[in-house]
Amino acid sequence: MWGDDVERPLVLELKANSLDDGPGIRTAIFFKGCPLDCIWCHNPESKKAGPELSVSMDECIGCFTCKNVCPLGAAGPDRPGIVDRSICDNCFLCTETCPPKGLQRVGIEMPMDEIVARCVSDKVFYDVSGGGVTISGGEPTLFPEWVGELCQKLNDAGIRIHMETSGMFDYEKVREHILPHLSSIYMDIKIMDREKHRKYCGIYNDTILENFRRLLQDSKEMGFDLLPRTPLIPNITDTDENLASIAAFYTELGVTKTELLPYNPTWYSKNTKLGLTLNEELRGLDSWQSPEKIQHCKNIFINKGIECI
Amino acid sequence: MTKVVNKDKAVGAVANQITHVVLQYFAFQFTYVKKNNDYLKTVDGWLDFSIAITTEDGAVKQSLWFKDGKGFVKSSIEGTDCKITLQDTGALARLAMLPPNEVLLMVLRHEMTTSGTLVFIETFDFLISVLMKNSQIKKMRKQREERLETGKEMVADPADAKREKKPKEYLKADSVDPGVKYLTEDPYLSTYSIEQYPRLQKYLDIHHCGTPELCSERAEILTKYFRKTGFETKPDGTPWVPVERQGLAFKHLMEQRKPIIRKGDLLAGTTTTKEIGVPLYPDAQGTMIWAELMTVHERMLNPYGELSPEEIKKLNSEVFPYWTHRNFREYVREKYHEPICQQLDERWAAIFMWKTVALSHTILDYPKVLRLGLTGIIDEVKAELEADKDASEEKKLTLEAMIHCYEGMITYARHLAEQAQKEADAETDPKRKAELQVIADAVGHSPEFPARNMDEAVHAVWVHWVGVHMESTNAGFSLGRMDQWLQPYFEADMAKLKTKEEKDAYVSHVLELLGCFYLRCQDHLPLIPDIGNYLFGGSSSDQAITLGGITPDGEDAVNDMTYIFLKVTEMLSMRDPNVNARYNASKNSMTYLKRLCEVNVNTTATPSIHNDEAVMASLVEHNYEQRDMYDWAATGCVEPTISGKHLGHTNCMMFNMVSALEMALYNGYHPLMRWHLGPKTGEVGSFKTFEDFLQAFFTQLAFQADLACEYNNLLGEAHSVIRPTPFMSAVIDGCIQKGLDCTKGGAKYNSSGTACIGLADIVDSLMAIKYLVFEQHKYTLEEIVQATKDNFEGHDVMRSIILTETPRFGSDNEEAVAMANRVTKFMKDTFWAHTNFRGGHYTTGFWSMSNHVAFGSLTGALPSGRLAFQPFTPGLTPEANASKSLLDNIKDVSKLDPVSMNNNIAFNVKVNPAPKDTHEQTVNNVTSYAKAYSNLGGMQMQFNVVSSDTMRAAMANPDEYRDLMVRISGYNAYFVDLCRDLQLELVNRADYGM
Repeated sequence: MWGDDVERPLVLELKANSLDDGPGIRTAIFFKGCPLDCIWCHNPESKKAGPELSVSMDECIGCFTCKNVCPLGAAGPDRPGIVDRSICDNCFLCTETCPPKGLQRVGIEMPMDEIVARCVSDKVFYDVSGGGVTISGGEPTLFPEWVGELCQKLNDAGIRIHMETSGMFDYEKVREHILPHLSSIYMDIKIMDREKHRKYCGIYNDTILENFRRLLQDSKEMGFDLLPRTPLIPNITDTDENLASIAAFYTELGVTKTELLPYNPTWYSKNTKLGLTLNEELRGLDSWQSPEKIQHCKNIFINKGIECI
Repeated sequence: MTKVVNKDKAVGAVANQITHVVLQYFAFQFTYVKKNNDYLKTVDGWLDFSIAITTEDGAVKQSLWFKDGKGFVKSSIEGTDCKITLQDTGALARLAMLPPNEVLLMVLRHEMTTSGTLVFIETFDFLISVLMKNSQIKKMRKQREERLETGKEMVADPADAKREKKPKEYLKADSVDPGVKYLTEDPYLSTYSIEQYPRLQKYLDIHHCGTPELCSERAEILTKYFRKTGFETKPDGTPWVPVERQGLAFKHLMEQRKPIIRKGDLLAGTTTTKEIGVPLYPDAQGTMIWAELMTVHERMLNPYGELSPEEIKKLNSEVFPYWTHRNFREYVREKYHEPICQQLDERWAAIFMWKTVALSHTILDYPKVLRLGLTGIIDEVKAELEADKDASEEKKLTLEAMIHCYEGMITYARHLAEQAQKEADAETDPKRKAELQVIADAVGHSPEFPARNMDEAVHAVWVHWVGVHMESTNAGFSLGRMDQWLQPYFEADMAKLKTKEEKDAYVSHVLELLGCFYLRCQDHLPLIPDIGNYLFGGSSSDQAITLGGITPDGEDAVNDMTYIFLKVTEMLSMRDPNVNARYNASKNSMTYLKRLCEVNVNTTATPSIHNDEAVMASLVEHNYEQRDMYDWAATGCVEPTISGKHLGHTNCMMFNMVSALEMALYNGYHPLMRWHLGPKTGEVGSFKTFEDFLQAFFTQLAFQADLACEYNNLLGEAHSVIRPTPFMSAVIDGCIQKGLDCTKGGAKYNSSGTACIGLADIVDSLMAIKYLVFEQHKYTLEEIVQATKDNFEGHDVMRSIILTETPRFGSDNEEAVAMANRVTKFMKDTFWAHTNFRGGHYTTGFWSMSNHVAFGSLTGALPSGRLAFQPFTPGLTPEANASKSLLDNIKDVSKLDPVSMNNNIAFNVKVNPAPKDTHEQTVNNVTSYAKAYSNLGGMQMQFNVVSSDTMRAAMANPDEYRDLMVRISGYNAYFVDLCRDLQLELVNRADYGM
């Protein structure tokens, strides 16, 4: 649906011992592919649903193994950026032989049972900490049936599941396959202005806002917690205007709690690893927001009686 | 080729000539220059000894002799007392230029070996420093400056090294354990902090900033005494029975010691006459500092205060010469002709024998001291003497020796009480006067008589503790289950109080009293000759206290005193006493576990947390009586001892498993020691299967273990002859009944504990060999050995493949875990099959103090991909890159079979709290790790809650970080005291964010 011809979700990373993706100790499964195209995206490698080649220059030991296996002559320590992406056709042969694993395939068809087994092996940590598995992305809802089945298996193993979503999905399918397995959801509300949303996130936000309304309704009925969150991107989402609109939206719906995610400037290197270039509007946004600024943003919600963490 | 040989020969001949000339100059200086010649005079006559200096190729053969105050040189090396063998002439040239503290470090670089009386090499080095003191000191100062400079390079900007001290936060307890009788409002005592105790703050400041001084009080009193009464024979010429001699000597020592009450303290008595003392035990390793007497105040790491010329003279001419042959090492050397096992120890690369220092690492029967008092113990011994009419001569003498000891101890306690009374009478400040009166009354009653209240009980323990350290070397004596043993006094005292104010004031007093006790325990430090700074850097004497767990009846043991000790531990954040906590998941509460983790977070490094049930499961083969086993407590670092009934010398040796691996790869040859030592287990190309190779490795391990146990047993004998310990024996169950000193096996339970080092490095190396050579056939074993010889230079691809493809311990890999279990089981079975001098088994542990760094620096590159001379991993901690997930580390370690690790383990985890997390979140995360590890069956775990960045800042700005505490492997130390290699090892440990 979003450009890449894949049959099932690819796993970007299965991150064990995650303490930042929901309550307690968790395993976060990051799926590849996202319907949005946010210019500040912190995980550019998660945008495309198909596999990509990641090149880490620091790891290269100059052994020329890649040069010997590349059928197109695209790879080699003597090539600019090690792999000439204008020639490379993503066959990934080099990633299978690179001794220091500096060349890596991003996006793996990990068998469902392997995912389950790896999660189950950390279950004792979930149990003592109130944690579990987090499905995230990219956007974890691109393949509702597949992910739903995975969630079912995790539930069967006694594991609670949390989802992080952009809110852009086919509601009925997600409701049918995924929602019954979740204990909680973090959903992003990024920009209220329809046009700005399209400008910065690639699409209009109508579906997202509608899905949020429906999730809120279903959360009571189906018994999962729902927390809307807003990433604070300087001059894009962290404006008083945008935040006030979001607060008004929450007030209208009766939302009582939200979370703001301060801007994280440490992601430049990821772009270069994937051979991407930085969006012009983000140049110079390389520092953290001040605690004062963050508090100012929070107050916009707090003043409306909305708890803000 | 011939040319090269001829050239080498020519160089050798010149070196031989130069050595001759230099030694002649040396001989001349000490023969004809009076002020130098004076250093050859001792109270027993001239210092006569000879030392040979040679090179491995035999090109240099010279010896220096001193006899009757005259020095001379011979161009031969026959018949000398000791010998230094240099790797080559280059090493010889370097030796000539080194400060005395560094000479032995050449052994640590495989540049030099020693043989013969080690003490004389110390003497020789001392004489060098007599001549070279000034230039040596200049050099040492330069080293210190360099360390400061290179430390600054650890941070990009000096401003990064500024220390921001966040105020500590304290949680409140969310439930009350059944054993907590009085602290029900908040067992965590969250309202107390060090700021309320200026006295403790002041002492803590001295602890961190004061300079330790060598203390010769014990050594001097005993040397004078023995010179008069004889050591081997009595003045009448009849031989001493060693235990009889030591009993009388101890009595004399305690009668003569100065009774000191530290200014302002709440406890009377000291182990030293100095503010912070380093007691000398010349009957053990005390003479190892001889070489450094002139320069010890200038050495780079852990310098001691400068010695006055009078002190140097006293030690050099009165004390040390008397003990040259009267210590454990030399006893073995002389009686058994420097056996191979001793030679191996003195190469430092394969084993390090703590038995050369002490037979300690045990826990005495403090409940008996409290219950009976010293007089009661004497009565018990007398009753045994009377009851056993057929007692052997040895039994009679042993029991009488115990009585002498306790009489001496009573005298010392009375002297303390008199001193306290004198000071109380003279004191004008009414508050202090009252305190002194309490001290005088308390110590006037206990330890002599049974304790009746907390002040008396703590005095009883402390004063007895002083005695223990006067009898035997301060290495790893441990205090045991202090929370259990002091709780009755707490309850009795509290029961007498009526109002809340009274009770609060009492709790506060107990916190301060135990704070003083902790600080008292740091009045002495172990003697660390400079080589020790590299072998076990920054260690204090590791006086373990154990908290929590279950009672001998099997009930939840957590009580009021548990929480009081935890509060004291948190307030002081000191490296020692080394606090160990038993967490019994079946009996102890989550409230208690959470508090352990909070204290760990707040102190950054302590307590270490033991899974009580797993530790007890590890002890199954001992067949301890159940009540006894339930009463186990940690000793030294982490090792289990049955309190009051067990001489388990749980750290008799540090055992390098990796040296056996190297010998397996070189058919019995140790490449860096350049020694054909081990059995011929096969050329590297001859192994058909992985099992063949594994058996070769096991054969080398067993061979090395045989040697280590042989030496330990000889040293055990040496202890029974040189320094029996009747004082200690009277409070170890079994010794009185048997009438046998504990050095001879008098204790109810006997064992010797080993620490096996390099498990993760071994497993990763074995897995690499198995996978790459025998399964994938990517390389031959020869190719891998060649790569290790080349330190992987030119073998980048192979090293990358090893690091990224082979299964590693700590990566949630069943096969690696199974391999680890095979190695630990083999090690345990091997040691268990040996019997020690006292008739007990050997136990096997997997922790390392800091020897993983020292042994690593003596080891070449490994098949695991580890480069030459790099540290091994601490304890059995997985290698830092084994997995990105801490959970994989935790899972693999928890799957190791406790039964194969019956001297416990040290699993180090470095976690780094996210700045955004609240204190409670951080504590909850740590608690979750600890709880999950325990649920999985893991034995022991220790957290360093400090980031690599903080450590780098401390290297750049050591003065601001004097109190930054880290856990090494089993013990705690202050980071800035550590040698650079050890600091870097800590920095490079996996830094798991939270």
